[in-house]
Amino acid sequence: MKPQDMPTFDVLREVMATDHGLAPESLTPDTLLSELAIDSLALIELIFTLEDRFKVVAGNVPADLPTLGSVADYIDGLRAAGAAAADTDVPAS
Amino acid sequence: MPRRVAVTGIGIVSPLGHGEHAFFEALQAGRSGIRRLDAPFAGRLASPIAASVEFDGSAHFPPPKLRMLDRFSQLALVAAEQAVASADLQLDTAARARAGVFIGTVLGGGHTTDDGYQALYAQGAARLPPFTVLMAMPNAAAAWIGIDHGLAGPNLTWSTACSSSAVAIGEAWRRIRDGEADVILAGGSEAPLNFGTLKAWEALRTMASEDPADPAASCKPFARDRSGLVLGEGAAVLVLEDWERARERGAHIRGELLGYGLSTDNAHITRPTVDGQARAMRLALESAALPATAIDHVNAHGTGTQANDATETAAIKQVFGARAFDIPISATKAMHGHLLGAGAAVELVATLLALERGVLPPTINLVQRDPDCDLDYVAEGARAVKGAEIAMSNSFAFGGTNAVLICGSAGRGPSRKRSIS
Repeated sequence: MKPQDMPTFDVLREVMATDHGLAPESLTPDTLLSELAIDSLALIELIFTLEDRFKVVAGNVPADLPTLGSVADYIDGLRAAGAAAADTDVPAS
Repeated sequence: MPRRVAVTGIGIVSPLGHGEHAFFEALQAGRSGIRRLDAPFAGRLASPIAASVEFDGSAHFPPPKLRMLDRFSQLALVAAEQAVASADLQLDTAARARAGVFIGTVLGGGHTTDDGYQALYAQGAARLPPFTVLMAMPNAAAAWIGIDHGLAGPNLTWSTACSSSAVAIGEAWRRIRDGEADVILAGGSEAPLNFGTLKAWEALRTMASEDPADPAASCKPFARDRSGLVLGEGAAVLVLEDWERARERGAHIRGELLGYGLSTDNAHITRPTVDGQARAMRLALESAALPATAIDHVNAHGTGTQANDATETAAIKQVFGARAFDIPISATKAMHGHLLGAGAAVELVATLLALERGVLPPTINLVQRDPDCDLDYVAEGARAVKGAEIAMSNSFAFGGTNAVLICGSAGRGPSRKRSIS
């Protein structure tokens, strides 16, 4: 399955496991980034990686992303916006 | 009253090995770290030789941190870690506030810059990795050393081309001597073996051509058939410490930094001058309150370029007069390569260890004598010496910043040669 077809949180969990050596089963939407030592720079890197995986473009990273779930929601928003833009891009004929 | 400055820790990651022992064993054996470059772009270089370091960052740093470190910062951090461990440095909060980091570098995070250009211009990438700025910035290595070791005093990065780390060490010496800091981790780091940097150096026509019989012998300082320098990578960091502080805590004092001379050629952006180099040597002697007769050994800048080696020979003669012919001079770049901003720090380590062990490294590959370079370059192989206590290390640079350091062995005799007056 391509990342674009996978639930955001599953991909996020996989990225956290690969890039930060964390056990995937220990990660839930309620897990605080601060518990994982994910500071503002590490969050920027995480969003960068997720942009690549989901082919979305993020702007400046919002300040209010305290949990893994909030990061996944933020990416979901970008994915939905991207899908809507793709729909309107379909040529008329 | 000026304070004495002790060297209490030594760290080095070099083309001749990791750690001071491997480094000096190779120097003593006359073994070259120069080799054919194993890189995908090597075929596009006119002279695909370099002194590379066998180094895997993943053996030293966890992945999240490694992703934030350019190779030059990785090398610097490992050298600093060695230096701090060998100094057995324990600092409380008050001591940390008076402990700093002074690092010399020419390129800073050059690999990051090169990778970024490759992605952006060659591959048409829309964006760069998020840590590009933090990895490429020239002060990254010094900053990370300060963070990792909790050093809250002055944190400075010096960039004066090939004399950068001599300036870093010399300026650190001044800060400790004058009481502005008690401990400084001082040295240099460079990682220039990427395609863009090597092509830029190639364009200057100062790189050695590959020796067809033996690539490892391509750098030939002071020889008639010398054809240029060979770039290398690596880092060296010293723990410099107020002598009394070091003595009171029972530190193993490895040597003393005695003097530092700084001059500028102010003549030409690349061509060195005899007067400028000689002035830096004299100023170093003056700052150490030593007569020229005190110097037992010189580690030369000795790059292997036509211009440097003849000029440096003439400058040494100008400073030391007839005695110049009796001072053993080692040009260790023939073995570890030219490490640019790390070069002076690496060579000061070689000089300190030479005094400590009583063995002067050879100048290898010096077979064909040049009438313009007619001093004693220790060409026959490593030389055991007795009573060598004070040495000079020369570093000269594009841009004209000449920096000379003078160091002494820790256990040298009572002021036999210490004072001019």
